[in-house]
Amino acid sequence: MSKTADLLPGTLDMLILKAVSLKPLHGYGVLLRIRQISGDALDIPQGSLYPALYRLEHQGLIVAEWGQSENNRKAKYYTLSEAGRRRLEEETAGWNRLASAIAAALSAEPEEA
Amino acid sequence: MPRGLLATFQTLRRRDRFEDAMAAEMRFHVERYTEDLVLSGVPPAEAARRARREFGSLDNVKEDCREARGLRPFDEMRRDLRYAARLLRKTPGFTATALATLALCLGANLTIFAVVDAVLLRPLPFPAAGRLVSVYNTYPKASVPNDGCSLPNYYERRGQIPAFSRLAVYRDATAVVGETGATEQLPVTRVSPDFFSTLGLGPVIGRVFTEMETMEGKNGAAILTDGYWRQRLGADPGVLGRAIRVNGISRTVVGILPPTFSFLSSQTLIYLPLASSPDERAPQKRHSGTAHMIARLAPGATLAEAQAQIDAHNAAVEVNDPEARLIADAGFRSLVVPLRADHVAAVRPTLLLVQAGALFLLLIGAVNLVNLLLIRASGRVKELAVRQAIGASRRHVVSGALVESTLLALIGGLLGLAAGAGGIRLLALLGVDRLPLGSHVVFDARLALIALAGAIVVGIALGLPVAWLSLRNAAALGLQGESRGTTAGRAAQRLRHAFIVAQIALAFVLLAGAGLLGLSLQKVMTVSPGFRPANVLSGQLVLPVRSYPDRQTLLAVVERLTAELGRQPGVQAVGFATNVPLSGISNKSAATVQGHRPRPGEPPHGFYSYSVGGDYFSALGFSLREGRFLTAADSRRAERVCVIDEDFARRYWPRGGALGQRVFEGPGEGEADDAYTVVGVVGPVKQAGLVEDEAQGAIYYPFGHRADHSIYLVVRASLPVESLAPALGKAVRRVDPELPVNDLRTMETRIADSLVARRSPALLAVLFSGIAMLLTAVGTYGVLSYAVTQRRREIGLRMALGARPEQVRGQFLSLALRLLAAGTALGVLGAWLTGRAMQAVLFQVPPLPVPLLAATIAVLGTVTLAACLQPAGRAARTSPLEALSEE
Repeated sequence: MSKTADLLPGTLDMLILKAVSLKPLHGYGVLLRIRQISGDALDIPQGSLYPALYRLEHQGLIVAEWGQSENNRKAKYYTLSEAGRRRLEEETAGWNRLASAIAAALSAEPEEA
Repeated sequence: MPRGLLATFQTLRRRDRFEDAMAAEMRFHVERYTEDLVLSGVPPAEAARRARREFGSLDNVKEDCREARGLRPFDEMRRDLRYAARLLRKTPGFTATALATLALCLGANLTIFAVVDAVLLRPLPFPAAGRLVSVYNTYPKASVPNDGCSLPNYYERRGQIPAFSRLAVYRDATAVVGETGATEQLPVTRVSPDFFSTLGLGPVIGRVFTEMETMEGKNGAAILTDGYWRQRLGADPGVLGRAIRVNGISRTVVGILPPTFSFLSSQTLIYLPLASSPDERAPQKRHSGTAHMIARLAPGATLAEAQAQIDAHNAAVEVNDPEARLIADAGFRSLVVPLRADHVAAVRPTLLLVQAGALFLLLIGAVNLVNLLLIRASGRVKELAVRQAIGASRRHVVSGALVESTLLALIGGLLGLAAGAGGIRLLALLGVDRLPLGSHVVFDARLALIALAGAIVVGIALGLPVAWLSLRNAAALGLQGESRGTTAGRAAQRLRHAFIVAQIALAFVLLAGAGLLGLSLQKVMTVSPGFRPANVLSGQLVLPVRSYPDRQTLLAVVERLTAELGRQPGVQAVGFATNVPLSGISNKSAATVQGHRPRPGEPPHGFYSYSVGGDYFSALGFSLREGRFLTAADSRRAERVCVIDEDFARRYWPRGGALGQRVFEGPGEGEADDAYTVVGVVGPVKQAGLVEDEAQGAIYYPFGHRADHSIYLVVRASLPVESLAPALGKAVRRVDPELPVNDLRTMETRIADSLVARRSPALLAVLFSGIAMLLTAVGTYGVLSYAVTQRRREIGLRMALGARPEQVRGQFLSLALRLLAAGTALGVLGAWLTGRAMQAVLFQVPPLPVPLLAATIAVLGTVTLAACLQPAGRAARTSPLEALSEE
């Protein structure tokens, strides 16, 4: 587990939105999907997943619906709402700007200073 | 965030489902994780354990989820409420006292507020009702403050006053409605065609009146109220065009008003066109106020503009008026006043006074409760300190106190709603429906909402002192316990004592105020009405114009009625008059003494004028001062005679010699033959009420010379007169089967009814003071009783050191006396100020009469000290051994 990175504050919401944007997922599925799409690099503390899901649902960014799970059990599935999709785009763009800025700053060579 | 709040409320509405779903979702998560762990080779028991451990504390996660949904404050509130409810259940004595206090005080306020709301606050049921005004003629120097308006006023002003978008007149009357044999006398209103458009509310079915229908002889139309249509015509949908008989004339129904239509206090069931002849609209009739004018202010126009335009218009039309001088001498003016304010002006001060009384009661009750709550809170000081020590925030301590008192106030408020609903029914007994707009008093959702909002405000106000003291105590005491010497303990005690002093002072003011109203009523009741009211019955008859078109027929029917009624067993005297004392009608008209030269600027004077037939003076029991009464025979004699009252005589002949003088009816001398010779002077009677500002003067003409269609019959009997009423009705129907008798009441009832505006507030004030006394006793008892308990050790110590029981008792009684003295001193000051403010509604009572002051001190002192005897006695009986061995 030493390969996993700690989450930066504020990034959990973004990851959840990204995860459910691909296909409807239940809570446990969100956890697996984030682990999968990050190549097992990101591990979310299970206890903080649900408060984040409830907050996003409360804000109307994701929508919950009960459905059948893979092994025919009732599970609560989350999908991205229209507002959630816009938020994901904004956050992705914002994150990319921040990431490239930080990357540029960190790759600065001494002679260019 | 409104969206978030909305989502929170949706979650709250289906809270159980939310909790179930949350639990199911997390259970599913743990199970799926367990399965995955098992699949990856972990033994099942170990897998389940690990899944639960990695998920973390289920309760914490759930709590975080609830917070994410904005449920946290509601959950805290619910916990506080449950805690408060448990505390209240643990102290049933306190809870019952507090709830009873709140129910009484809030109920009393709700009851009175229902009246204040209906009469003073609630808009009249018309669109933009605030733009409606009333216009009336006043002749203050002729002592005629309000003479309504005349038909010429209406026809001359219509369309001439730019500040009015609409202008209308109306006249209230009664009419005999129905087919022969099944007639009834009903209130009707005659209105000009624009009456309904002025109000902004007209018939829902059919049409309003036309201009044509205001011509005399062409007025065969009628508009019915919803009530009449439903009750008498069975809500017949094809009613338009149907005929109804009014005063013997067939009229066509042209419109039905909506159920909500209610014009001021009118009980009218049928609206008729106000028809008039060209004569009645002529300028000579400009000052014959026979109707009332209403108008709607044009958009943007102000009351002051309307007044200025009316003044200018009056000046313009009076230019060629031969009576202009006389009218100006009478101080004539037409006043524009807001319709509603004008209608309720007379009752406004009394209503506000009673509401102030109710608020005083609430204040006393609130002070009482604050003290009881403070005492309760003192018992919980340690508990609060512990709660703060284990992390309860200051906010939590405050909200806990507020939740408790608000819960109390809300339950008390609900009980108060019930009490208020009962109180509103009780008000009917006190004659509230006879107030202007009094019939609009209802108990509805608006009132209930205001009451509950009021209860919440009271609840928060009650909790604030407790919250403040709790914070202070907790800060000062920590966990040391409440020792008697601490500053916080002393502050609490000072607060409790200050509240007791305030309570005594408030109760004193309320009691003194009730006393003032009572004294005033007593003074009014000793005023003589001027006649002997015992065993006299009076009732109103309206003689239809169709059956009795002229003076001869009117006189004939009055004579036949006199004879028929006189034959009834037990009847001693029968008389008729166009008005009787305290009938509620107090119109005046002018009379002119022959040969009297008015001084320049002397205004004409309005006198109560009566036409009397039969044996009116004996029937009512007048006192004769000079000459003789009018008799039935005077109506048949060609020679014109009259009787005046002492006030009239004194006005013109202060040194005597009224007999033989000649008086003309109306505002000027007429033909010599028209003069009436004074043949008698009688004692004055009270017309408008037992209390009249100044002597008005009255003149009595024989009915045969000045007949009228609206008359009162007056019967004096040797038996209890109420039992005669059915026989009298039958006797009248024997003379004319279409004549119903209206407003049949004994003269004693008329006197009692005329006092209702004084009696009802006095009764309410007495009721309020009674409750206030009780509350003060409870409050004083509670505080003193607590003081004794709190100082038990000290008392025990003193007694062990040799203090006698009387000394201990004296110590507590002297504390009570000090509080009483301070409260009384403040109370006397407050009562004096209140008495001064009440002068307008009092009759011959100074602001604070000494006997009343003494009585109030005695009553309040007795009640307060009586409440202290038990706690003081308990202090004196303290056993030193037990007291010192406790704790």
